[in-house]
Amino acid sequence: MEVLVLLGSFAVLCAIGMPVAYALGLAAIFAALYVEIPLEAVMLKISDGTDDFALLAIPFFVLAGAIMAEGGMAMRLINLAKVFVAFIRGGLALVNILASTLFGCISGSSVADTASIGSVMIPQMAKQGYPKVFATNVTICGSVQALMIPPSHNAVIYSLAAGGTISVAHLFLAGVFPGLIFALSLTGLVLWTAHRRGYPKEKAVPLRDVPRIVLDAFWGLITIVIIMGGILSGVFTATESAAVACVYAFLVTVFIYRDYKWRDLPKLVHRVVKTVAMVMMLIGFSVGFGYMMAIMQIPAKATAFFLTLTSDKYVLLLLINILLLVLGTFMDLAPMLLICTPILLPVVVKFGVDPVHFGMIMILNLGIGLITPPVGPTLFVGCAIGKVTMEEVSKELWPFYGAMCLALLIVTYVPAVSLWLPSLLKF
Amino acid sequence: MDLKSGYRQAMEALYLACIVVSGVALIVITLIIPLGVFMRYVVNSPLSWPEPAAVLMMVMFSFLGGAAVYRAHVHIAVEALVKAVDPKTRRIFLGAADACMVVICLFMVGYGAQLCRALWHQSIAEFPGLSVGLTYLPIPLGGLFTLLFIVERLWIGAPPPTSVMFRDQPSAAE
Repeated sequence: MEVLVLLGSFAVLCAIGMPVAYALGLAAIFAALYVEIPLEAVMLKISDGTDDFALLAIPFFVLAGAIMAEGGMAMRLINLAKVFVAFIRGGLALVNILASTLFGCISGSSVADTASIGSVMIPQMAKQGYPKVFATNVTICGSVQALMIPPSHNAVIYSLAAGGTISVAHLFLAGVFPGLIFALSLTGLVLWTAHRRGYPKEKAVPLRDVPRIVLDAFWGLITIVIIMGGILSGVFTATESAAVACVYAFLVTVFIYRDYKWRDLPKLVHRVVKTVAMVMMLIGFSVGFGYMMAIMQIPAKATAFFLTLTSDKYVLLLLINILLLVLGTFMDLAPMLLICTPILLPVVVKFGVDPVHFGMIMILNLGIGLITPPVGPTLFVGCAIGKVTMEEVSKELWPFYGAMCLALLIVTYVPAVSLWLPSLLKF
Repeated sequence: MDLKSGYRQAMEALYLACIVVSGVALIVITLIIPLGVFMRYVVNSPLSWPEPAAVLMMVMFSFLGGAAVYRAHVHIAVEALVKAVDPKTRRIFLGAADACMVVICLFMVGYGAQLCRALWHQSIAEFPGLSVGLTYLPIPLGGLFTLLFIVERLWIGAPPPTSVMFRDQPSAAE
């Protein structure tokens, strides 16, 4: 009954349209009243939830990504991607995917990726004869890579939701190959579609232009070297590397690219504050919610429940994937990570799944949820930029869902895809 | 100026204050953390204060920014069911959601203030003059500000498109 009070009241509060962050807090209060836990304890946990130094990596990564995205980085990465793939049939669609891969090295947000890459690529693709719906689908699906490719602030959220016991450096490294496999599966689909529908090739970029284009993109791509190099060498913590990346991103966009206008800085900070404060409130209240889940032994009960369904690790992972795909259609990535990780992680660990590997499964799975109706923030942004309706896009998304689910299956059932790179770390 | 437009203006100012304080906190944190790294590796004189100062400011921008986010209607919410039901049921749902928001805000104000009071006489090791209770003040303040924004929406309606909330888009020339 007590589990029903916590999870049931949360579901009802969400269903009536209450913001998820506050619904987590209120459900925790209802549960605390039911099991007679002092409300002071819940308040203490909520305050604990927002005063962890490791949390600061989230606003820094969001800020660095926003500075780069608005400072002209997206255009430079698209130009770099054109050097490598524009001359192939369906070249602009492939450029779109590769630019998202590169953009993922700077921003961990699929919405930011869709807004930055999509606003350049969708009109270009439409001009070259690609249907707008196809261009939008390539953009929104390609943007999901950003969630896995380091630096991903979602990896930081997962680490925190797991109790801060999982190294952010391991999670960052673990995301590299899942991100690339995701990109490859989309690339395969795009190549097949381009040949079937006869989409155009672009002119190859003249060799004399290549050094300038590479150098232009180089300054931005150094950000990932600062972040990963700093963390892996032990010079920085993840939080410090993210802060240094913010300062570097600002210097590059203002003094090297010179695309950024000082007068736009307050607007940029305004937008970042809105994004970050929303996530931080979610985290704060989810810690209170997680505290009540722990008191009610929900993770242990979830483990016992799954053990009644199966004793096979692979069947369990399939069940969890289906569950997350369904839940992901209704809720955004960050709250799902914060709510589901404390419940599901103990279950999969009991079955012998590595927590780092499970992090990649969750992020990829819930990332797909960002482009599924009825709640798909990336889908909404893509439709707005592509000037197409959600119905038009949804009808043609099925082959893309197939390609993404193939990548999800590979990431789920081949743990080495996620775990090989982190295994090279000596700490 | 009638009471409603006066209240609207006050809420615009309050929203702006929340965003400015949170934004300044974010910028200051972004500068002091690299400063800490610089002092540690380049000057070889590590500073002890950037980390706790950053955490204090993070609590501030989380809860004050969180209140502003409520007014800007940016908090993540599941709206599928609310949109699917008939208008009368929708009004009931949204009314219940508002009532629940009032409850959680009152909890933040009441128990947040209690937390501040309980910790008021403890000081932070790195900042001996600063009370631990003061660092948690953004929680009751965030609850109070959100409550004021709820009152604004219920009494006067959603902020108009000319609101300062919507002036955060990049310049058209960009």
